[in-house]
Amino acid sequence: MITLTNLGKVFRTELIETHALRDVNLQVNEGEFAALTGPSGSGKSTLLNILGTLESFDSGDYQLDGKSVKGLSDAALSKLRNEKIGFIFQSFNLIKDFSIYDNIELPLRYRGLNATVRKQRIERALELVGLHARRDYLPGQLSGGQQQRVAIARAIAGEPRILLADEPTGNLDSLMARQVMELLEQINRQGCTILMVTHDPDQARRAGRNIQIIDGQLHDSTMYDPLAQHTA
Amino acid sequence: MPLHLLFKSLQRRKVVTTLLLVQLAMTFALLLNSILLAQQTRQQLQQPTGLPLQQTLQVQLKPTTVALRQYPALGDLLTRQLEAIRTVPGVVAVAYSNQGPLLYGGNNGNVHDPDREELSKANGVPLYTVSADFFNVLQLPPLAGELPQNEIAVDGLAKSPVVITQSLANKVFDDKPAVGRQVNRGPVAAVVADFYGQRSAGTVNYNAIQVAPLYGVDWGYSILLRTEHGSTDKVRQALPQVLQQVDSNIEIFYIRTLAEQQQRLYSNEFGLASLLSLLSALMLLVSMISSYSNAYFHTLKHQQEIGIKRALGASKSRIFTELLSENWLTTVLGATAGVGCALVLNQVLAQVISIPSLSWWLPLLTYTVLLLCVTVATWYPATIATRISPATATKAL
Amino acid sequence: MEQLFYYLKVSWFSIKRAPLPYMLTVLILSLGLGVFFSNATFYYRMNSDPLPDKSDKLFFPMMMLVPYQCSDCKAPPVLSYSNVAKLAASDIPSARAAMYSADGYLRQHAAQPPTPVTVRITQRDFFSMFDVPLLHGTIWPDNQARDELLLSKATAEKILGRTDVVGQQLLLDDRLFTIIGVLDDWQMLPKLYDAYNRQYLNPAEDIYLPLESGYDYNYLSNNNSSTYDDADYRKLATDGRTKAIHQLQYWVQLDTPAQQQAYRQFMANLVTDEKAAGRHPSPEANQLVMLRDIVRYFGGESADIKAFAIVTLLFLLVSVFNASHLSLNRYLSNQYEFSLRRALGANRSQLQMQLLVDMGLMSTFTLAGAAVIAYGCTKLMNSLWPANRLFASWDVQLMLALAVLTLFCSYLVTLYPSLRASFGSLNKQLKE
Repeated sequence: MITLTNLGKVFRTELIETHALRDVNLQVNEGEFAALTGPSGSGKSTLLNILGTLESFDSGDYQLDGKSVKGLSDAALSKLRNEKIGFIFQSFNLIKDFSIYDNIELPLRYRGLNATVRKQRIERALELVGLHARRDYLPGQLSGGQQQRVAIARAIAGEPRILLADEPTGNLDSLMARQVMELLEQINRQGCTILMVTHDPDQARRAGRNIQIIDGQLHDSTMYDPLAQHTA
Repeated sequence: MPLHLLFKSLQRRKVVTTLLLVQLAMTFALLLNSILLAQQTRQQLQQPTGLPLQQTLQVQLKPTTVALRQYPALGDLLTRQLEAIRTVPGVVAVAYSNQGPLLYGGNNGNVHDPDREELSKANGVPLYTVSADFFNVLQLPPLAGELPQNEIAVDGLAKSPVVITQSLANKVFDDKPAVGRQVNRGPVAAVVADFYGQRSAGTVNYNAIQVAPLYGVDWGYSILLRTEHGSTDKVRQALPQVLQQVDSNIEIFYIRTLAEQQQRLYSNEFGLASLLSLLSALMLLVSMISSYSNAYFHTLKHQQEIGIKRALGASKSRIFTELLSENWLTTVLGATAGVGCALVLNQVLAQVISIPSLSWWLPLLTYTVLLLCVTVATWYPATIATRISPATATKAL
Repeated sequence: MEQLFYYLKVSWFSIKRAPLPYMLTVLILSLGLGVFFSNATFYYRMNSDPLPDKSDKLFFPMMMLVPYQCSDCKAPPVLSYSNVAKLAASDIPSARAAMYSADGYLRQHAAQPPTPVTVRITQRDFFSMFDVPLLHGTIWPDNQARDELLLSKATAEKILGRTDVVGQQLLLDDRLFTIIGVLDDWQMLPKLYDAYNRQYLNPAEDIYLPLESGYDYNYLSNNNSSTYDDADYRKLATDGRTKAIHQLQYWVQLDTPAQQQAYRQFMANLVTDEKAAGRHPSPEANQLVMLRDIVRYFGGESADIKAFAIVTLLFLLVSVFNASHLSLNRYLSNQYEFSLRRALGANRSQLQMQLLVDMGLMSTFTLAGAAVIAYGCTKLMNSLWPANRLFASWDVQLMLALAVLTLFCSYLVTLYPSLRASFGSLNKQLKE
């Protein structure tokens, strides 16, 4: 599904060069639920942004579904994002003046789907996140957990192949966080590949795989075994 | 972006949008009426005068002594002046006249058929007293009858024959042949083509001309001369000296081509149209600044939103179009309100000046101009918006 | 004082942070005010009352005393000599003067080149009715013909190099006249006694001649004259006095409503008599027009200035809207700083004070900009409409009006943004 080969990313200012990512090699298979962990500034968000084609990379290659994204035009990248990738952000990133319905509809509109199909998909997504009754609310009228569920609905309404979640529960209390995690697991079970940045070891543990980044390098890309970690 | 979301986007900036809409509406109204007025002035300046405008020079002058202003010294002065001018290289024909054509007002009176005065009367008809070459200078060949060749006193025993323009002949004689008939000022000798006489008259093409000596020129008089192609400027430069040499007891008020004279006739309209055009340009500039700052600040304030949209799959061109269409919508709304404002302004202006009423295509033209300006003004901020990094914007705050 | 400097410093920093929007705001406001003000100058001057004490006491009587019949005509704007004689028979007015204007050439002696001059040909009451100041000499003792003239101060200086010239003789169009008086600086603007044909826009005349002499010497009106029937306009001395040659303006002074009423009645009686004598074939159309209404009556108001006034007002409005818009955007982008100040303990009145200083600073810049633009615009209008150039001057009163208007507009422009900045929800603003 995702193949990164010797991927590198450098941030340059006038004075210094920072290697955000260095020779990253990664293979993520279809249907995986992987957690991306690491200390602050380690490069995990940069990696997630590159995976989501929100940021470019400087070296190496990134293949999505067997095709390289290198050199794709802005329009092609936007199309790719729109059709194959769903985003869930820590701060939800809903458009506050749009209703829940309008928020979810936005990526579907960008795809050019007709009104009937859009409606069906939005209803399905709202059904899944359990917010059908609140479709006409504005984001500000919902709790944090509900807002994140709306964000999830927006991400999955387009039926993406990959869901990229950047600390999706970072702004939520534990109860809400659990609900969101359960929702993500449910989505994963339905076949969607999920890559999630998290600080929370519990959540990392719940994912099938833990990818750790330190100083821009992938240190570990194994299947997570909690017991082994503890005994060590 | 669908219309209702565009509206929503405008709605959340109520005050700013209202301010923008009001000024767009006013700009539209002014622009529309300025175009209208400019167009009217252009038409006025382009209306056919029936006169060789470029090659004809008009000298307006007056003797500075009482004696020279009266017959017979005046007659002698005129003869000497015309003779002297005829010798200037480039002069084709020259004549005197109590007044020139293309004036606002001047010497005028009524002309009618004495047998049916009430029905045939034309008021305020310019009355010219000229030398025989007047028709040659202004290139007015007779359409009917024969042009008088000798100067016959207007108030002599036998009345001086009258030459009238075509439209005046039609008015007075009801479209019947005029030559040989009598008007109150004398027998009609010939009918010539229409030419522009005086603006204050009801119909500018009514003119009555008599070939006769000038008896007194307390209001000054005109010398009209036609020049060869390309020698107008040279002749104009030579004239003051030539005339001074004939007799220095004169004051020359001006020497103008008839084209300049026509320009002056509409100088007030020209002035107003120029000022309004200038003001319209300023208003457009102000509107452009508004659109620019509106789009710019909007972009600044909504970086996150734009970032989200980019993350959700909106391409740069889509973001660009969305921002433009938001301003287009504002412009169309403002301009539509502007049509109403334009109508009101048109009515208000019509109470003080003569201004044609709105035509259907003018608002369309104005829409286009306004949209074009707004597009140009929004271009740069919209380009900035496309440069917003979705990664940074979705992370921010 | 120190606090004021502090406020000024803060304002200055705020301007420096975003100079372009600030400059644009000032520019747009200056444009709106400058353009509006330049036209308002013309409008104000043209509509000002040059004789506020008398403009409701001086009247122009007009009657249909003409040899033709017309049932829906306005009375002609000029009277014949015999009309005036009939009207002058009434002793109701406390002063009366018939007049017209003509052109002439003035020189000291025959060898000198002639100077073209405008001549007001009038009667002795003219000077007292229109408050004409006399610098030297006297005016004519009566309305008889006499070869005596009065000069404007500028003409005396131009022709003779000084003003104390009473008793000297000058050649006016080949005839010798004695100077009996020199006027002091006098420029009645608008020149309401000569309103027809937009003559009120022109400067006052250079020399003054008795009416009877003007007729004797056949001075034709350079403004408006109409001749009817067999009258010969070249024979003013004869036909001009007896036949229908209309070229005279006539002003009477009627100080009280009773006098005005009596004079109206006198005019009505005159019509009855004239009708009885067969000299008034048309229906009565008497008019007694007040000096302050005369321009409007003759339809000579400057339509262009009026039309442009409407438009410049519109432009000013648009500019104010636009400047508010810009200033609102500026404040919105500065909102965070404002809220921070409030969070740090600045109270609203301190913030308002700051905003007031902002406004003062903006007014100062705008006033300077507006004055420059108004100056340029006035020059432009003078070149496009040279006929109005006498009305382009500014005085302290007008400048003060501009300053007040600038202050008001700056206040409007900063009002809403400042309210929003200082009264919005602090919490929300800081979070944003």
